[in-house]
Amino acid sequence: MSLIIQQPGHSVVTDLGRFRGPRFGLPVNGALDQFSARAANILAGNGDNAPLLEITALDFRMRATTDILIAVTGAPLHLTVGGRQCQQWEPVSVRAGETVALRRLDGGLRAYIAVHGSVHAPVLLGSCAPDTVVGFGLRLTEGTELKTFSTVPPIRQPYFDLPLFRLGLTRPEFHSTAVVEVTDGPDVEEFGDTADLLYSTEYTVSGRSNHIGLRLGGALPERQSTAEVLSRGVPVGAIEVPSREELLVLHRGRGVTAGYPVLAVVTSRSLDVLAQARPGHKITFRKTTVPEATAKHRAALRELETLRSTVGTVFSLLGVGGPPDPPRLAPAAGS
Amino acid sequence: MTAAPTPALPPVEVFESGDAALRVVASSADREANWATVHALAEWLDAAGADGVHGAVPTYDSLLVEFDPGVTSARQVRAFVLLGLRQLEFTGAPARAPREFNVPVVYGGEYGPDLERVAEQQQLSVEEIITLHTAKSYVIRCLGAPAGSPMMDGPDFPLPVPRLKDPRLSVPAGAVSVAGRQAVIAPAVAPGGWCVIGQTPLTVLDAAAEPLVPYVPGDRLRFHQIQLEEFAAFAGRKLEAAR
Repeated sequence: MSLIIQQPGHSVVTDLGRFRGPRFGLPVNGALDQFSARAANILAGNGDNAPLLEITALDFRMRATTDILIAVTGAPLHLTVGGRQCQQWEPVSVRAGETVALRRLDGGLRAYIAVHGSVHAPVLLGSCAPDTVVGFGLRLTEGTELKTFSTVPPIRQPYFDLPLFRLGLTRPEFHSTAVVEVTDGPDVEEFGDTADLLYSTEYTVSGRSNHIGLRLGGALPERQSTAEVLSRGVPVGAIEVPSREELLVLHRGRGVTAGYPVLAVVTSRSLDVLAQARPGHKITFRKTTVPEATAKHRAALRELETLRSTVGTVFSLLGVGGPPDPPRLAPAAGS
Repeated sequence: MTAAPTPALPPVEVFESGDAALRVVASSADREANWATVHALAEWLDAAGADGVHGAVPTYDSLLVEFDPGVTSARQVRAFVLLGLRQLEFTGAPARAPREFNVPVVYGGEYGPDLERVAEQQQLSVEEIITLHTAKSYVIRCLGAPAGSPMMDGPDFPLPVPRLKDPRLSVPAGAVSVAGRQAVIAPAVAPGGWCVIGQTPLTVLDAAAEPLVPYVPGDRLRFHQIQLEEFAAFAGRKLEAAR
């Protein structure tokens, strides 16, 4: 039982992240668009944190050696299975020998493929998320054979190939102009009045952006003090001004400590938006509060819970899978 | 019966740091007390554990506490942190016997491309730089980027060391560098803007072990000079505590 990678593009096996990493100096890493990754796993009948594939920017193809069930989420793209066009954000049957192809990821930057029963991946500190600094993780190459754990016979609408599932999930939309919500950073006062530039400027995503951080061009707030800053832990989402050229927005691959003042912090919800921002896309920032940001994050999680229960019902009616995975909103504390 | 007096904790402030983290800062004039407090608090938070709290990253005078806003909230985590501080007020920081690590270093040449530049900037000879760098036993203050680097208060150079104008895209594992008034060893290959004055042949990072690096904050580390010919004899050995 396996998946054979035919065209890897730029793809890895990941999960929601290495939450125990930061205390050992390792970034959390994991799926950059957490909502899409959780949704893919839920649609495939998995726990949220199950290993899944993250495809960045480039076309991707793989062949299944057995009948499987998958779900593809994230950036809008052209999905085909055995040459048939299929829908994203829905469970999709793949027959043994068929090729799954993801093409034209041009609306956003990252797509996720979850496989019912998940795929095998090595684990470091409780997570399979790749870490480029310590050289850990499963980067897919042509011919990589990914072990799968369960076979699902084809579920196919017998008539007209009509869509089988109407799951009622609001699909996130990705645009070339995005609004990103932030809260004041702990060092906002160090920027004086120039901090306001963050909210009045339209920034452009630079091509030098990656999973460690996005670099944004535009009018830059300036630090007013020159006092030495001792290295300290910086959160994912921290916005810094390390040079006179670009704004740096740290994402999940960020080094855990740094010595730059933190101007603002992107909300958990908006980090998913940044995960889909392509070079050349425009970003504007909107200020919010921590309670408001927390409320939005929880609303998204509730939506995923509703999806989980709908999928559970559909799957049990169709006889897909054995006992469902225990609901897992988030990795347990300390995991 | 008289209780032993507990040392007073330095004043501690808690700042919002987005919807999934808090920054805790100890802000007294006593840097040693600030450092001891944030590290003791990190240990307490890890040992006590709370639902949705991922962990704490202590550095010099501050601590980043990360949490899952779907499970807990900034308000609840703040209360948890304050509870930890109350506990520490009663118990003081836990005592722990520091271990000591000895690190052989080849200075200069191919392994320490910035050694001469640092000597020039400090207006010292290369030998004097090496003597100062090997003179003291360093306290590992915290684990930094990349990959659990041991961050140490630097050698007693007369001046702070400026960072490189153009950071290197790749600094090898084992690189021994200085910047500002800090010193560090790179456990893994990474970009870097610090001045590389030497390299240790020892393996610092073991991705198959947990934890990945053998030291913890509070342990001590001492450098000693070896010659280029000796590098191969040490290569592949793991960094291990001498005691």
